[in-house]
Amino acid sequence: MTDKTLIEPDVGFVKEIIGLGGDTLKKCFQCATCSVVCPISPDTKPFPRKEMIAASWGLKDRLVSNLDIWLCHYCGDCTSNCPRGAKPGEVLGAVRSYAIADYAVPPVDGFNNQGGVLWRIINAKIRILHLITKPLVKAVNDPKMLPVLFAVPVVLFIVLGLITGLLDFSPPLGEKGIAHHLFFSTWLVDIIFVPLVFFWIFPIFTIGLLRFIKDIHENAVLEGKTDKNEIEYFGLIKGLIRVIPSILKQDKFKDCTENKDRDTAHWMVFLSFIGLFIVTNIFFVALYGLHIEGPYSQLNPVKWLANISGIALIIGAALMIYNRLKKTDQTSTYKDWYLLGLVLGLGITGMLTEMTRLGGLAGLTYFMYFIHLVFVFNLFAFLPFSKLAHLVYRTVAMAYNEYSGRK
Amino acid sequence: MTEDKAAPAYGSILVVGGGISGLTTALEAAEVGCEVFLVEKNPYLGGRVAQLNQYFPKLCPPSCGLEINFRRIKDNPNITVFTQGEVEKIDGAPGGYDVAINLSPRYVNENCTCCGDCGEACETEITSDFNFGMNQIKGAYFPFEMAFPARYVISPQIIGTDDALRCKDACKYDAVDLDMERTTVNLQVGAIVWATGWEPYDAAKIDNLGFGQYPNVITNMMMERLASANGPTKGKILRPSDNKEPESIGFVQCAGSRDENYLPYCSYICCMASLKQATYIREQYPEAKVYIFYIDVRAPGQRYEKFYQNIKEDENVFLVKGKVAEVSEDSATGNITVVAENAVTGEKIKETVEMAVLATGMQPTAATAKLPADLKYNEDGFIINDFEKGGMFAAGCANKPSDVVSSNQNDTGMALKAIQTLVRK
Repeated sequence: MTDKTLIEPDVGFVKEIIGLGGDTLKKCFQCATCSVVCPISPDTKPFPRKEMIAASWGLKDRLVSNLDIWLCHYCGDCTSNCPRGAKPGEVLGAVRSYAIADYAVPPVDGFNNQGGVLWRIINAKIRILHLITKPLVKAVNDPKMLPVLFAVPVVLFIVLGLITGLLDFSPPLGEKGIAHHLFFSTWLVDIIFVPLVFFWIFPIFTIGLLRFIKDIHENAVLEGKTDKNEIEYFGLIKGLIRVIPSILKQDKFKDCTENKDRDTAHWMVFLSFIGLFIVTNIFFVALYGLHIEGPYSQLNPVKWLANISGIALIIGAALMIYNRLKKTDQTSTYKDWYLLGLVLGLGITGMLTEMTRLGGLAGLTYFMYFIHLVFVFNLFAFLPFSKLAHLVYRTVAMAYNEYSGRK
Repeated sequence: MTEDKAAPAYGSILVVGGGISGLTTALEAAEVGCEVFLVEKNPYLGGRVAQLNQYFPKLCPPSCGLEINFRRIKDNPNITVFTQGEVEKIDGAPGGYDVAINLSPRYVNENCTCCGDCGEACETEITSDFNFGMNQIKGAYFPFEMAFPARYVISPQIIGTDDALRCKDACKYDAVDLDMERTTVNLQVGAIVWATGWEPYDAAKIDNLGFGQYPNVITNMMMERLASANGPTKGKILRPSDNKEPESIGFVQCAGSRDENYLPYCSYICCMASLKQATYIREQYPEAKVYIFYIDVRAPGQRYEKFYQNIKEDENVFLVKGKVAEVSEDSATGNITVVAENAVTGEKIKETVEMAVLATGMQPTAATAKLPADLKYNEDGFIINDFEKGGMFAAGCANKPSDVVSSNQNDTGMALKAIQTLVRK
């Protein structure tokens, strides 16, 4: 061991990880039990032992830009077998939450105002995103800001609705009875959510992912996880295609022993999101392509899918909350409750909207629909900052790991 | 000089436990003139040390220390030894305790000459606790060559059978007495030293290391018995499943130690024990490979450090920094695969060895069987010495995990504490 490395500990980083739920990290004495008991850790440079020492030493770059924190599925086997109660599973969860916040804010360092017009526009846009996302990252992780986060869509819906006249507080009955679009026009929904996807979520994740892929590759080269020096995006995409079946089956969870209860619950939520995504897209195409307005008949197969997904979402989210409450040795922080609360709220308001409509309770059903859209907005607009962003980073990390040829 | 030095001026001391700590305490107190009662629950003295093959770091056999101690006891009229005895009840306060000691029958009296005829005559075989169940012995047996008191024992398991009568008939010296009964001895003592020692931690409780599941996973104390000339294999280290001479052996350090889920503390001796046992293997099998998986090697002090450095230079001994957390067996060969992460290289290692030794720790005897006395324990069952209150003291491993050297230093100190209790009365 003649290699000498000068360690530059980032004490502030250690404190942040401790604050994000990794309060046990200093108990680790590097026995490496965790790396062995982890059912999904690779043989080459296994995790999470090395992440534990990096966290303890405040080696931020070794963690935030480390794909292994995303390969971790929070089975909890490491935590329950840890001889010191250092809870590696919780520490990695805290690091992930730090990493999400880090990649959600587009950096402005190193940019200058030279170059063409297009470049200047992009540059200006990045600066604006930087200015908005920076406080937002804090707000999403701060319980005191929760009312503000909910107030944003409420105000936005009402103001935009009143200006455009697309929000009608005393809507008439449609041909098929109560129709939500007569209260909250589908145009209003789409002029809010379509730009939200294309000018907000998409650019933030694009910038984040470009940095993320570059970082995890550099880290993998540095730590000897891959033999590929230059990253080929085509290979990465092929890796992605290869891991998709595994993601759809959520089969990594099946290897877990400790948090096995979570397997079904997470899978239900995951599939219901896919189901609802499909339903929403069908409705969108039907509306603008085929000019079919809602509500759909309960006999329509698309409606079946919507209903099944909605119920699965509620049951899945409720199970996940129940499992967290039941497991006292597991650390649950605000970020966990925020996301689970949003998901459960989304499912419940969605189903209630439908049930009150079928029950003919016009006022109540419009109100539920409004609340439901508030939840949808929260989930979407704050997706890059909340724990839900794992669906992007974990997918890419798994694809990279597949591509890297690591054993 | 008016004092009468010949008179036993100090009253008496009870020492509970006849292992190396109890022996030392009893002798230190007796040799300065105190009357000492030494109570041991086994039919022999010597405790855990008697089961060892060699001490570290000098690698001399335990007969070294034990023989001289037995001799000193034999020659010292101040010491009364009770074997097969257990403290039943204690009343009183420092300076004056009434103690009741329960003695189990040995069924062999002092006429015994250790001729061995009773053992020959006995047909029943029982499991040897001394050898951790690795072999069977006769129902009438001599605990081990150097056992003190040098007398056979008849196991209660054969009492009431024809075998017991056969033993009695075989004895030419009228030494077998099948009518012996459980008796109680009442003692009055001024101070008590608890030298109740330790038990090897039950490795079957460790759920990921395969002990009790795979025959070729043994404990470090079993290895001592395998390596001992008076052990189940006559000193030849053979693996249990097929008596094969192992060509590779893996040592699993901190097996159930320094682990909140099992024993949370370090037992102090297991690193040195494994390094020592590596020398047993290297001596018997010059080609054998030895792998020692550790969290950190604890070889405290200059002499132990030197011992460790010497082992490290051995080209057939591989020290791997990483705790074994998974053990499996190849059922066809009986070989054991241990899995660890080498924390230096960051690679997962799956090493297949012919036999694995779990370096299990010490659990104080008092952790599983509470003593009939008003004592303070820490959460792991070690006795906390309350010197304010005085009167009763814990010595050796009843107080903390330690090696023989530190135990003996501690024992001498506790002998002095006991003497001081008597003097201040």
